[in-house]
Amino acid sequence: MSEKIYALLLRLYPRQFRNTYGNESLQLFRDRSRTERGIFPTLRLWIDLLADFAVSIPLEHRRARLALIGSPVPSQPDGVPSFRVLESDSLRPEAQLAGALLSILAFCSVLLLIGHPARSLPIGTWSFPSANADPASLSAASSATGDSDADAIASTPSTDRKTASATVDPESPNPAERRRAGFASSPRGDGPPQASAAEPKPLDATHAVIDAFATHNIVMIGEIHGNKQLHDWLRQLVSTPAFDDRVDDIVVEFGNSLYQRSVDRYISGEDVPLEQVQKAWRNVIGAIGPPSPVYQQLYQAVREANLRRRGKHQLRIVLGDPYGDWEKIKNAEDLGPYLGHRDQCYAQVVKEEVLARHHRALLIMGSGHLLRRNGPGVVERTLRDAGAQPYLIVFGTNPAGSDLDKRFSSWPRPSVVSLSGTWLGDLPADPVATGGMAPATALKLADAADALLFIGPRDTLTQLRMPRSELEGTAYGREITRRLTIQIGQPFNFLNDETEVPQFPKPQPQPQQPQPQAAAAGPPPLPPIPKSINDPLPPRPPSQ
Amino acid sequence: MPKQKLHPLPSAAFQILLALADEDLHGYGIMRQVAEQTGGHIRLGPGTLYGSIQSLLEERLIEEVDLREDEKLGQERRRYYRLTSAGRKLACTEAERLAGVLRIARTKKIFRGDYV
Repeated sequence: MSEKIYALLLRLYPRQFRNTYGNESLQLFRDRSRTERGIFPTLRLWIDLLADFAVSIPLEHRRARLALIGSPVPSQPDGVPSFRVLESDSLRPEAQLAGALLSILAFCSVLLLIGHPARSLPIGTWSFPSANADPASLSAASSATGDSDADAIASTPSTDRKTASATVDPESPNPAERRRAGFASSPRGDGPPQASAAEPKPLDATHAVIDAFATHNIVMIGEIHGNKQLHDWLRQLVSTPAFDDRVDDIVVEFGNSLYQRSVDRYISGEDVPLEQVQKAWRNVIGAIGPPSPVYQQLYQAVREANLRRRGKHQLRIVLGDPYGDWEKIKNAEDLGPYLGHRDQCYAQVVKEEVLARHHRALLIMGSGHLLRRNGPGVVERTLRDAGAQPYLIVFGTNPAGSDLDKRFSSWPRPSVVSLSGTWLGDLPADPVATGGMAPATALKLADAADALLFIGPRDTLTQLRMPRSELEGTAYGREITRRLTIQIGQPFNFLNDETEVPQFPKPQPQPQQPQPQAAAAGPPPLPPIPKSINDPLPPRPPSQ
Repeated sequence: MPKQKLHPLPSAAFQILLALADEDLHGYGIMRQVAEQTGGHIRLGPGTLYGSIQSLLEERLIEEVDLREDEKLGQERRRYYRLTSAGRKLACTEAERLAGVLRIARTKKIFRGDYV
């Protein structure tokens, strides 16, 4: 209870401080609460804390203001002019007042010149989010209003909020005004505006994910395996200082947890032989065939980010795949318990390595594991039971041949789009999440996830594959053949001449008549499910 | 010329530099060390502690070392901080300045008794 009160009081600090030191302040509070028990020590603790609040909150707000004034503006590569404030001290109050008066004067002068009376200005038509709005909505609101502190907006009393629908004519000729008000054109763009299904607001994916961590300790990305464009963005994300400051761990499906120790050393910048650390992504229990090079690239990107940030907060990669040792797995029955507990193992790792340490983490896993079908999946349910509030972003693109191509075409790439209350959220989840590879069901996107990650149109997406030279005639290639025999009963040809191939097959015209021979042959039968699939996991061996 | 944030050096920041003189410590460890070295007179609250740490980090007087567990305090990983050579030098300068002040106070005979 007292920790909750303290956590609430922490919100009085500026966001920058909370993001950097909020968790540590809570940790320090817990440490003191543990050691200072009894009435008088507890009383002294709270007196200390209140005195500390009184002194440090104004100081931190002043620091935040100064940082804002003195912060350099990144250069604009596209030639957009920008301003840079060189002073490190804030402006004097009289200078600020003079500036405000001059601005108002200039504003009124322009109005007079163009002959617009002030009452027709769209003041009060900006849409403010509700207090329980999700981070993507908050970001949209903050960018629309120019207010960088979404928390402050969310805490605005509802009576003070001006909603667009109350003041804007849906037939307004001003498209921007209509968009702000939520009277977007219909999903198909051919009907009257619909107030109930709002226009989605795609946001820059990096900013949206970072903002999501302001309100959620866990952000889950449902990925599409081996995708180049998605991983190009993920590498950019982990190289962003604001992300590195805010996030402690990245929990990955593509890492066998048996090798956590090697990965910890590698990620922290130690010299670890590649042969040793690559076991983490090459010996994944759940992988069928050789892993895409995108995974190794992400490990490298996190290591490089940490090396660049020596002396600052470091990222950790936490491995979520079961700790099965392929050197000891000889048949399907050996493999069964690990295969049967992939989600449970992943969730357990997050509980132990992230939640128990009060960390913030980005979880990356295949979309199929995370989509909410009949409620949250195993991973999310376990984390919610443990007190976490995950935010789920899943990959999505236009299904083949659909008119979504046109609707997505103007969106920034990559972007994160909040689903609730939008026409996007009303779409069937499976075709969008699989680029049309899975048929539509009753499951809608808004029920399956909180937000969509749009990387690009379906037919621009590519998958990276391990080069032939690393597999043909090599010990690892032979090992992959052995594993495939255990996993699916027989190997398939996993050697590729091309290392970059389309993510999804191009749509082919349907044949007029079914091919009798092909239909008769059919795909080779899969081996029976191992009897051991529901057996409990063996004890966790020491990390390698 | 931009104003230096830690000039003059605030008492809390100086105490943190002194606390880190012997070993790397995490936030709670710094708080305990400061309380110990000041005979319990200064107990840094989280806001003051981390505000000071942020200023010291920005001035490169201390640095973050790593995230690791403190076996005595459980399994939570904690950020450890280390005094840099610049921080050690500043702590030394500040201690000499205070020693100079003390010498002046002695010559002015403002102390009662002979314990200082």
